Amino acid sequence: MIQLESITKTYQVGTEKVDVLKNIDLTIEDGEFVAIMGPSGSGKSTLMNIIGFLDRPTKGKYFLDGKEIVDMQDHELARIRNQTIGFVFQQFHLLPRLTALKNVELPMIYAGVKKQERMIRAREALEKVGLSERMDYLPNKLSGGQKQRVAIARAIVNEPQVILADEPTGALDSKTSKQIMELFTMLNKEEGTTIVVVTHEQGVAAYADRIIYVRDGTIIQDDTNPEPGGDIK
Amino acid sequence: MSIIENIKIALSSIFVHKMRSILTMLGIIIGISSVIFIVALGQGGTEQLKSLIVGPGNTVSLTYMPSEEEIQKNPTMLWTPFTEDDIRAVESIPEVAKVVTSSESFGTVRFRENHQEAYIAGVNQAYIEVNELHVASGRNLLASDFLGARRTAVINAKVQEELFEDVNPLGEIIYIDAQPFEIVGILEKPEGLLSSFDTMTVYIPWETLRAVTGENRISYITIQAENTEDLQIAGEKAAHLLNQIHGTEDAYQVLNMEQIAEGISQITGIMTMIIGSIAGISLLVGGIGVMNIMLVSVTERTREIGIRMALGATRGQILFQFLTESVTLTLIGGMIGIIFGSFAAMIVSAFIGFTLTISLPVILIGLGFSMVIGIIFGILPANKASNLDPIESLRYE
Ligand SMILES: Nc1ncnc2c1ncn2[C@@H]1O[C@H](COP(=O)(O)OP(=O)(O)OP(=O)(O)O)[C@@H](O)[C@H]1O
Ligand SMILES: [Mg+2]
Repeated sequence: MIQLESITKTYQVGTEKVDVLKNIDLTIEDGEFVAIMGPSGSGKSTLMNIIGFLDRPTKGKYFLDGKEIVDMQDHELARIRNQTIGFVFQQFHLLPRLTALKNVELPMIYAGVKKQERMIRAREALEKVGLSERMDYLPNKLSGGQKQRVAIARAIVNEPQVILADEPTGALDSKTSKQIMELFTMLNKEEGTTIVVVTHEQGVAAYADRIIYVRDGTIIQDDTNPEPGGDIK
Repeated sequence: MSIIENIKIALSSIFVHKMRSILTMLGIIIGISSVIFIVALGQGGTEQLKSLIVGPGNTVSLTYMPSEEEIQKNPTMLWTPFTEDDIRAVESIPEVAKVVTSSESFGTVRFRENHQEAYIAGVNQAYIEVNELHVASGRNLLASDFLGARRTAVINAKVQEELFEDVNPLGEIIYIDAQPFEIVGILEKPEGLLSSFDTMTVYIPWETLRAVTGENRISYITIQAENTEDLQIAGEKAAHLLNQIHGTEDAYQVLNMEQIAEGISQITGIMTMIIGSIAGISLLVGGIGVMNIMLVSVTERTREIGIRMALGATRGQILFQFLTESVTLTLIGGMIGIIFGSFAAMIVSAFIGFTLTISLPVILIGLGFSMVIGIIFGILPANKASNLDPIESLRYE
């Protein structure tokens, strides 16, 4: 369970202080599928990065499963990130010189998993995203949708509690977007993984069972979606 | 994250930029090969020089270094420092095993119509034994030659070359200052550097020299002790005895070869330091090159670093990854340097005849040096990598 209590993020731009996030209160229960929407520059990515411990809030409290994490040191945060968070990015962020399989292995290397087990689990993850035939491909030999599926396999391989996807379909066409969102739905329903997706597209957000609207660093609307389901045109 | 994973990452990024990596290693390669070269040759050369100058070991030489007064009192002594009686007296010292004597002068050696100036050494039998003169053909001077004062001579290879051309010298008669001698043996040709020091030398029995020429000067004497531990005592006793016999103060002295050997070590030590500082400079320059290329690599891979951090890499793991990379780079350079340096040392040593010492410690020194350089010059780039902000790194184009 993720609990944010009056999280504020302030950037110093020149002499001016800009509050990118203002007193955000947000609770995300385990197993939720949340979409975050809002105009460009409203602070969605900043919020995601704070949730994923890539960034630290300027003020406020963050509890993960009831545990305060704000005061933790960098290496402790890295460990929690490795174990409980799976990131998926708009730009895929695969390492270009590593094959699909090796990319999926990475989080397990940092988790200290043995080589043999890494291979087995990486294969399983790639099978889960439907890419068992492309394991030894380098990223530049894969289509956008395939790259994003490798990234998702990489995100789930350490069996994280939460997947944070910042505009995962932003660089994909509608057909592949649909596949990716169905994959998230499957992970959410079958594995019970909490999913948080940032998107600009209503149709993508429609997969979630809760939609949060952000504007100017504040949550302006927090809706439950009574009929989650795909609506990508 | 294991060291093996890090080495794999390091090797792959080194191999992706082959040309760049090799150019970066160049300074390290040059530096390490000079280190190897110096150490190998320094060790081999020093040992060789010592044995060349100090001689076969377990011997001490006696010198005659009279004071001004003593020279004025007895000027002829300068030319005849050691007499036959002296030698017999020294031989009677219990610690003394052998007394090597030699009377050396230049003379004209003639074979048929060829004649040359050569070194004439009137030696005793101990000389042949202690200096380990080996004949390549014929025989050595024997006890009968010495006792019988026979007109026999052993020549070195240089004399054969200069005087005999195609004729086999064995059994031939040469004339030394118009006195006939029969050649019974030819010495082995020395190898390498020693061959260039080789001068034309004819060895004849001391007894013969004295009988034929009336020469009674003994140029120097060398003492071999029964036990090596007694060497210094034997030498001092002999010097004391000779001073007593001749009524001199401190004219007869033990020539301390240890000191000379030490002097040689010092000279080669200074040379090592000079070449060593050249090696040091190229290692420094090489190290800075490594640092530079590692900084470039960190910048190029900013996004990779951001991704790794997002996937759970700690700053320590990122630091270690880049440190491993720079150490791998310098270690590969170091290994190439060890190979090059060994080759260079081998070629040079074959050329000048020094025995070369490429020992395990030498190789370990080379590897140690390159590793330390990798760490020293890798720490800054690695630290930079580990301190990157993950979010900004992920955004980096
Ligand atoms: N390092 C920074 N320094 C100063 N301002 C920053 C920094 N990072 C982000 N911002 C600002 O914070 C605001 C929120 O950025 P953020 O990336 O969270 O927006 P977003 O909602 O994800 O937008 P988009 O939909 O375009 O991705 C923006 O106005 C941005 O300019
Ligand atoms: Mg964004």
